[in-house]
Amino acid sequence: MKIWRKAWGVVTLLCAGVSCLPMQARAQSAPGVTKEQITIGSFGSLTGPTYLYGKLTMNGVDAVFAKVNAAGGIFGRKLVLVREDDRCDPATAIAAVKKLVFVDNVFAIIGGGCSNAALAARPEIIKDEIPTNIFASVADEITSPVSKYIYTTMTTASIESRAQVDYAIAQGAKKIAVVAQHDAWGQSRYKPLMEAFKAHNVTPVLDLEMTVDDNDATVQALKIAQAKADAVVMVLYAKPGAVLVRSLNKLGQNPMLIGETGIADPVAFTKQVDIPGATDKFVTPSAVRYTPSSPEVAAWTASIKKMFPNDDLSVFNLMGIGAGQVLVAALQKAGPDLTREKFLDAMAHIDVTTDTYASPIVCNDPVSHQCNQHVAWMRAAGDHAEMLAAKTQ
Amino acid sequence: MMMFGYLVMTGITTGALYALVALGITVVYKATKAVNFAHGDLFMLSGFVAYTFHVMWGVEYVVALLLAVAVAFVIGAVSERIVFRPVVNHGMVSVLLATVGLSFVLKGIARGLWGGKGDFIPFPPLVDGAPVMIAGIPVTPQQLAVLAGAVAIMVGFGLFVRFTRFGRIMQATADNTKAARLIGIRIERVYMYTFAVGTALAGAAAVLMAPITLLYPDIGFVLFIKAFAAAVLGGLTSIPGAVVGGFAIGLIEALAGGYIDTNLQDVSAYIVIMLVLAFLPNGLLGGPVARRV
Amino acid sequence: MAPLAVRHLFGCRPFLVLVFALFAAVPFVANPYVLFVANLMLIYVILATGLNILVGYAGQFALANAAMFGIGAYGTGLLQVKLGLPYIVAAPGGVLLATLVGTIITLPALRLSGVYLALSSLSFAMFTQWVLLHWNSVTFGGGGFPVPNIDLRPLLPVGPDRTIYYLSWIVTIALLVLAWSLLRSRVGRAFVAVRDGEIAAQALGIHLLRWKALAFALSGFYAGVAGALYAPLLGYISPEGFDLFQMIVQKSMIVVGGMGSLLGSVIGAIVITGVLEILREFKSTQEIVFGGVLIAFVIFRPRGIAAWLQSLPGWAEPLSAFDRDRHPVSGEPPALPILKESQT
Repeated sequence: MKIWRKAWGVVTLLCAGVSCLPMQARAQSAPGVTKEQITIGSFGSLTGPTYLYGKLTMNGVDAVFAKVNAAGGIFGRKLVLVREDDRCDPATAIAAVKKLVFVDNVFAIIGGGCSNAALAARPEIIKDEIPTNIFASVADEITSPVSKYIYTTMTTASIESRAQVDYAIAQGAKKIAVVAQHDAWGQSRYKPLMEAFKAHNVTPVLDLEMTVDDNDATVQALKIAQAKADAVVMVLYAKPGAVLVRSLNKLGQNPMLIGETGIADPVAFTKQVDIPGATDKFVTPSAVRYTPSSPEVAAWTASIKKMFPNDDLSVFNLMGIGAGQVLVAALQKAGPDLTREKFLDAMAHIDVTTDTYASPIVCNDPVSHQCNQHVAWMRAAGDHAEMLAAKTQ
Repeated sequence: MMMFGYLVMTGITTGALYALVALGITVVYKATKAVNFAHGDLFMLSGFVAYTFHVMWGVEYVVALLLAVAVAFVIGAVSERIVFRPVVNHGMVSVLLATVGLSFVLKGIARGLWGGKGDFIPFPPLVDGAPVMIAGIPVTPQQLAVLAGAVAIMVGFGLFVRFTRFGRIMQATADNTKAARLIGIRIERVYMYTFAVGTALAGAAAVLMAPITLLYPDIGFVLFIKAFAAAVLGGLTSIPGAVVGGFAIGLIEALAGGYIDTNLQDVSAYIVIMLVLAFLPNGLLGGPVARRV
Repeated sequence: MAPLAVRHLFGCRPFLVLVFALFAAVPFVANPYVLFVANLMLIYVILATGLNILVGYAGQFALANAAMFGIGAYGTGLLQVKLGLPYIVAAPGGVLLATLVGTIITLPALRLSGVYLALSSLSFAMFTQWVLLHWNSVTFGGGGFPVPNIDLRPLLPVGPDRTIYYLSWIVTIALLVLAWSLLRSRVGRAFVAVRDGEIAAQALGIHLLRWKALAFALSGFYAGVAGALYAPLLGYISPEGFDLFQMIVQKSMIVVGGMGSLLGSVIGAIVITGVLEILREFKSTQEIVFGGVLIAFVIFRPRGIAAWLQSLPGWAEPLSAFDRDRHPVSGEPPALPILKESQT
């Protein structure tokens, strides 16, 4: 009897192995489109340390979809978002995109949280000819050289880096220090930042490193103090950023602090640093022109809170809202007889102002699919954020 | 010279963080001879629990601290019963996988419950105020609190082991499991309480440290690795050793970051550990282990 | 006891033949997603086999396998990109690099055991990550780099989309056969002797350091080969793929499959890779579920799927850790090889 039970176990195991084989994509004129719905795929981190860039941005997209669906959908079709985790890992991202295309059978993709994961997925997207809009990864190489299928509505690393250096110099900074994470996330911004410095013929007085998990930045703050830097470009997550600002404050240093698009909420950052005055000279470029505390996005705040009751609205949600609205605009423009060709054509001529992005999203440049060319400069003013001039380039 | 003073102070205050986490790892290892790879995540979860009590529900600071420690104790006991006990005799690889599994579960839970509240969560300091000057070097009051906490917990735990009945039972079990069983000590129960005490230590450490480390779901594992390294440097079974190991790693990082390059700050500890273990296979304070045939 | 014919049909070897025959058929029936996952499974079979030789057979609890995997992949990719070497030259180069590094790190590791070996190798893994991230001029730093597609047309005429798959398939089988024959020779017996008691092994005249070094070199070699296949499969190499998560995934394969069992390495690699894909359905909660699956496996199948299969007739594996199940020496339950350090 025992043997039979075990043999049965072997059979079950084999069946499990075989049953995962035939999952052929259903034949359809426009994949992922039926009379009732349009299936859109998304890949990004749902788990692991980088989940903010994936999960929270997707939440923003979902909020847009919910609003569109409540208003009757697009030509009667409801929008459905299918999420796949890439854990920020290239192999997992490739598998995610293949699954979206061949199993989930999506019409288009909106996603990309980590640059390396999106870069790894790029050849697959092009090979499968899937219209894709990148919503959070910043590496320029994802959209350059231009592919017919890939657009980004996130401000890319080179746009952001140029803005950071331009701003520091325009504000009269003479000695600029850089404190950067040298992990995959930081590296995608660090390289273009150094190029931006070179373009201005400026050498940073300091080029320091911090890791995400550092709990103290006295060493970095000391070096900044010794070099008498008057501006610090922080290529850092909000958390090490806060640690750096606290350490600078402890040593009585008060240089101009320049953030990046991941810490684009100066109000939240001020609360997180939690030392009065320490963030007075903190400004940050942002892909979006509001922060969650802005009254202009109150409706979105409410709908996110309703859909994801554990969450507070974050800048990542706002980025997702902007990206989702661009996608919706392109779908609308592509008309009722939706095909990928028509959708791509619509994307190639998109010119739309969203509820959140800093500037209008314009994709009509055939040599660049980087549709969000301008950052907004944000600064905390009491309990709300104010946008400084959005002009940067 | 001034630079050196700053770096030493930084090393000590950062080292205190590692030491506090290393204490719990050592306590559990001492009794069960197994490393709990989820210790950092139990620490993280306790921090979030304290945050929930204190910030979200407005419970008094001290009460929140005690509640967090109590919750950590219970989580520790439950984890031991469900995850740790079945595998503790199945070898290091099994313990590694079971506790790493627990680590994933805890991280996932934290991400679901608190992960949408921002990149990280600031935790109000126990002691507020401007940095104080010690020999001309500014130190924040919270850093001093962590330092004091590390020393207090170390001393308190030493007294607990020496002077309480349960402490002695723990010690006896750690020294000789078979003999302890022979004289009627219920080993399983000792393991459970030890594990719970270790987790409670993590809970206390979390409340002390969270104002400095800030809270986010992935804080645990990296802290764990550094603290594990500290515990091993200290010989793994010695409570003072764990504290010394923690300070050693903090100092190495600060000095390497300050004098060589900030690039090396994070990796310096690992390089030193490889070197130390190459020459002292049982850690700094481990002493020679007799080989038994 | 089942009749002889049945035993031959349902044995361990026929099972493996069947498994790899199924793998050979995958490109004809599966969509690109399934093909990619099947390819990952093959690569993980190589990784798990190498790791099992080190941990399951030779009893060395090291945590640097993900780093060796990365060195193999980086070596292969960089030799192609930086020196313009063709894949058939670059891949052996990457493998050689991983094997060399795998052997060199053993020098300090040879004196270590238990937790100390774990920490030393973990530190090495962290150090390797740091090098990959910081040695910009060579490794392209944290941003990673694209690796060219491979085309082995005259040697392997299967079409560009299937080249890497069938290459992986052939190499996996070759390495399994190699492992099988090595472990049945005196090499395997020496490993097991080292695992089951270093002092007893020395008393038997076994040169501890030599065999430990060989075990590390072998696992480095296997990880290197896996890396050399991984690079062209992904077409993009970056440090994230070789981190602690990777290490945990590989460890879970040998434990879920069965420590000290080749069959276990194959099954564990296939099952865990499959589980990770199936868990995608859990979206944001998949890390909780994956953690739960690991815990459940370790608790309910502490000695892996292979141990459970090997009690079937015809499934016995020479020298496997479960051998003594059938020849119990004492009344005590057989202990797994890597015990916590002997305390009593």
